[in-house]
Amino acid sequence: MRIHRHDFKLQDRTSTPSQDPQQRTTAARIRAMDARSLRTVFFDLLGRPPLSAERETWSGRGLDELLDELLGSRPFWSEWWAEQLYYFLLIDRFRPETEAARAIPEKLAEGRLSVRDALHRLALTSSFELRNPGADTFVTVVMEQFCGMTVQDVKRELELGKAAYDGRSARFLGHTIDSQAGVVKTCIESKQAARHLVSREYERYLKQPIPKERQITDARRFFRDPYEFLSLVREWFLSPEYLMRLNHPVPESNRLFVRGIFVDLLDRLPTDEEMEPMRYALDGLSDARPLRAVLVQLLIDGEEVRLPTKESLEDPAAWIDGLFRRLLGRPAAEDELAQFTRALKEPECRTRTVVYALMTSREYYSY
Amino acid sequence: MTHTDPTRRDLLRGAALSSAAWPVWKAWAPHARRDAFPGRAPLREGKKTERVVFIAFAGGVRTRETFGTPANVPNLVGMAAEGVLYPRMRTANLGHFGATLSIFTGISEPRGIRDNSRGPDPTIFEYLRKDLGLSSSDVWITTSGGAQQTNYAYSLHPDYGARYGATTLDGDGIFNREFRDLLTRYGMPEPIAGREKELLTRLRGSIRATGPDSAKDAAKDAANLARIEEYILTELTRGTSDITGAGAGDAKALRLARNLLSVFKPKMIGVVLRNADIAHGSFNGYQEVLRRNDAAVGELWKAVQADDELAQTTAFFILPEFGRDRDLNSRRGLDHGDGSDDLRWVSCLAWGPDFKRGVVNETPHQVIDVMGTVCDLFGVDPVLAKAKRLKGLYS
Repeated sequence: MRIHRHDFKLQDRTSTPSQDPQQRTTAARIRAMDARSLRTVFFDLLGRPPLSAERETWSGRGLDELLDELLGSRPFWSEWWAEQLYYFLLIDRFRPETEAARAIPEKLAEGRLSVRDALHRLALTSSFELRNPGADTFVTVVMEQFCGMTVQDVKRELELGKAAYDGRSARFLGHTIDSQAGVVKTCIESKQAARHLVSREYERYLKQPIPKERQITDARRFFRDPYEFLSLVREWFLSPEYLMRLNHPVPESNRLFVRGIFVDLLDRLPTDEEMEPMRYALDGLSDARPLRAVLVQLLIDGEEVRLPTKESLEDPAAWIDGLFRRLLGRPAAEDELAQFTRALKEPECRTRTVVYALMTSREYYSY
Repeated sequence: MTHTDPTRRDLLRGAALSSAAWPVWKAWAPHARRDAFPGRAPLREGKKTERVVFIAFAGGVRTRETFGTPANVPNLVGMAAEGVLYPRMRTANLGHFGATLSIFTGISEPRGIRDNSRGPDPTIFEYLRKDLGLSSSDVWITTSGGAQQTNYAYSLHPDYGARYGATTLDGDGIFNREFRDLLTRYGMPEPIAGREKELLTRLRGSIRATGPDSAKDAAKDAANLARIEEYILTELTRGTSDITGAGAGDAKALRLARNLLSVFKPKMIGVVLRNADIAHGSFNGYQEVLRRNDAAVGELWKAVQADDELAQTTAFFILPEFGRDRDLNSRRGLDHGDGSDDLRWVSCLAWGPDFKRGVVNETPHQVIDVMGTVCDLFGVDPVLAKAKRLKGLYS
């Protein structure tokens, strides 16, 4: 049975989430994905919309099937790693470029590293050191970013951590250590770090704070076995809370925007050489819309994009509706279709005008 | 205010802060009574200031290497000779991001050093835009530190936020060779004009999620966005993208501020510098950045003076978010974590048509008080801020 977004909304309003995890999971499993939810799930898991072939393959199929396919895959871990680098602001000239750092997503996909191991390695990269120079900055960032602490509230621990960073023996977060590596290890292996990671990852995926009870149980599971991370993510995606998230589009980050326009226009991801300057430039603006519009136009006008001419369109309305479905994840409403079809009949309106209008609309900037 | 009759000696004593004067500087009383912010101030009678350049000379900068070493910053010293120098500005070590944000919000609250999110408290840019009805091209920030820096533009406060935010340009992010080369490789976009442009606007407006009410705003917004888009594309063809080397990010931020002043003549430009933080690993590099930034500030100042309109109407405020440790670390650099006076006290420079000239005011203030002062200058009440006003500023 295909259940549409409208049905999700009705259910959200009329029922309270079951407390039985099995029941909740089963209820969610049967739901099939429409164009919008498919686009959103791909963005959430892989940081991009589906490619044409993926759209064909997965449209109308169940979320649980898609999760089986994507969770733990190499693209999933590449995206996860990219998000972690961004979280730690290890971007631009601070991006870790060593062989070992680049191999981390692959090792995660092969199950040779856990999430905790990967983050531990990240904190020991020279990029992390360069980004966070000096005892005060380094220890502060480790405590804040890994454990979610406010150092102004735990000044004594900060001082102890700084002493250990400088090679002096100190009792830091309950452990006696005497090195920078000790500071990192103590933080990353702490219960606070498990709680913080689970909380921030839940919030990143579901766009809402983690419920207290779930935070406690999931952090405990992760603390005991960091390889549980994928099971947790799967449960989150099959929860009623994720259905709520599907009903509430959120603004796209600049990174996702760049990946999105390449997939939507060229059916491929940008290369690093294309991605990084564009993302970096967009990140330099508090309101990136003017530059986003420039980049969309740049691609549309580029040689790689092949848009049909107006004359070659057998059914302009069907073409427009297809664009709405592909780019916005929904069919065109009657009035929208009428406006677009009418405009396209005018000599000055080209097919690129239509695509440009959709890809620079507010709706396109969210997912 | 302790100095009302400035002399050349007064200025030199504070501005140059020679090594002999240093112990005296450190011993100045940190506590002084301050008047509460007196509510909404009227526009000052006969006020000349119409625009403000607010430079966060940030990245952690000690007075010891600025006004304590005049050879490093001849332009700042020159501005101090024609303005007011406040060498007793109390800072809070909230991390670079938190401390710089507090300068703009007028509220000192801790923020994670790598926290890449907006704060809850409105910034000065939002107060100005909301209370004075200014457009996005009237209020700008140019920055130097990458993604995190755009968070200064506006807050998450429900009564303020994005619609009152400053237009932010991160110099290094946009104006670099890689991005310019990428644009060149793809070719500049074909202009959309005339009837096609009208159709485009209409199509965008017809997309359901935009809605009829926001369509009007969107049209007004679109005109501003188009101006900004045009400016960015023009700026890409100038030399800003070619600036490289130590402190290039800061140099670009200052260059952009200069260009924006001449193109838009905005009411407010915030400039956030960051490269001085190289000091963690290189004391010499840090001094080099300070010299380079001083030269760039000097060019900006001269550009203002060379323009009749700007010279009569522009005020500058320049200050760091906090200082640095007293002693060098093991890498012969300077961190910030020792709680010393070098870290906690910085200097602020104010220059403008309504300000006293050649005054050193030793009254202790907090760095957030600069925000209150700028708001006062515009006749705006930063209702949620805890900032007070700098004493002894106006002539």
